[in-house]
Amino acid sequence: MFEPDEELIGRVVRQLRRPVTVDAGLDARVMEQVRRLPPRRAGGAAHAAWGWLTRPRTVPFLPLGALAVAAVFVAVVLWRLDRPSRPASMSEFGFVVVAPRATTVSLVGDFNDWDGARTPMQRVRKDESVWTAVIPLTPGRYRYAFLVDGVRWLADPAAPAARDDEYGAPSSVVTVGGS
Amino acid sequence: MTLLVAATLVALQVAQGPDPRLERLDSISRPIVTALVDSARAAALPTEPLVQRALEGATKRASADRIVAAVRRLALDLGHARDALGPTTSPPELGAAAAALRAGAPPVILTELRRIRRESLTVPLAVLTDLVASGVPVDSAAAAVLSLAAKSRDTDLVEFRRAVERDIALGAPPASATAAAVAAAAVQVNAGARQQRPGRP
Repeated sequence: MFEPDEELIGRVVRQLRRPVTVDAGLDARVMEQVRRLPPRRAGGAAHAAWGWLTRPRTVPFLPLGALAVAAVFVAVVLWRLDRPSRPASMSEFGFVVVAPRATTVSLVGDFNDWDGARTPMQRVRKDESVWTAVIPLTPGRYRYAFLVDGVRWLADPAAPAARDDEYGAPSSVVTVGGS
Repeated sequence: MTLLVAATLVALQVAQGPDPRLERLDSISRPIVTALVDSARAAALPTEPLVQRALEGATKRASADRIVAAVRRLALDLGHARDALGPTTSPPELGAAAAALRAGAPPVILTELRRIRRESLTVPLAVLTDLVASGVPVDSAAAAVLSLAAKSRDTDLVEFRRAVERDIALGAPPASATAAAVAAAAVQVNAGARQQRPGRP
């Protein structure tokens, strides 16, 4: 059994009753340690991502790299400027011309760089004097004509004539709408 | 950074070079047409119509003088068209407007069309040009298109043009054919508007 020692108890009580002196800089040291702790992940991955995105950084770059980025940007802008905006729809248009005794007939116009080799027309089997071609067209106004045997120009009798025809050979106009 | 972009822009313009399709032009017209295309690009005008007009001349074996004159005139017309329609006009609209101006339509008609129609002006302007090409006086054609453009779809306007051309082919005076087709089209537009309004007579 344990017999309480009056002397021992007295010494413990006296020790406990001694006033404790706290260092005046304790609070500051504790708070400094708290500030050094990593931030708490309150919002999970999204919060962490937002923190990563909004944390300011210093990004070193080469002037050559900046020049390359600027060149790509300008190239894209130029490429976009020089082309009509992407059309919402593309319609197929059929062209028909009657050309008896023709060996070849080509459809040429603003839609194929006026290249006689680009869109050869096909004979209709039932009537060999009838030639047809079907091409996709985006909305716009196109001038065109038929080139017979590589030398003779024919306007489309079923379409409006191109009024502003400065080259002497006739042309026609097809207009593709969007609504 | 701005200086870098500007320098790159100039360098790219130089590096871009002439359109390779213009190689089909003769040695006299090619440099002049290239310069005209470059000027149009610098003025933010569409260059594709100019290239196509030059290629048309080359394919039709037109002389250099005629090709240059045609391209220069079209460039001027495109500029006037943009002045009338505004800087945000699309390239197809500008092309159609240039043709309308060449057909004799006053610029004020183009401006008025822009004001009254929210959709693209390509088809109304093309119809106006085609009507004039069919012999309809430009004032009658402009008035007809203006009266229909606000409420008509592109397909309605094309059908209107076909009706006028059909009546002209049958012997009707162009102005009378236009007036009759406008009246018929207006009835159809109004009928369509009534059908689209459910619950009302």
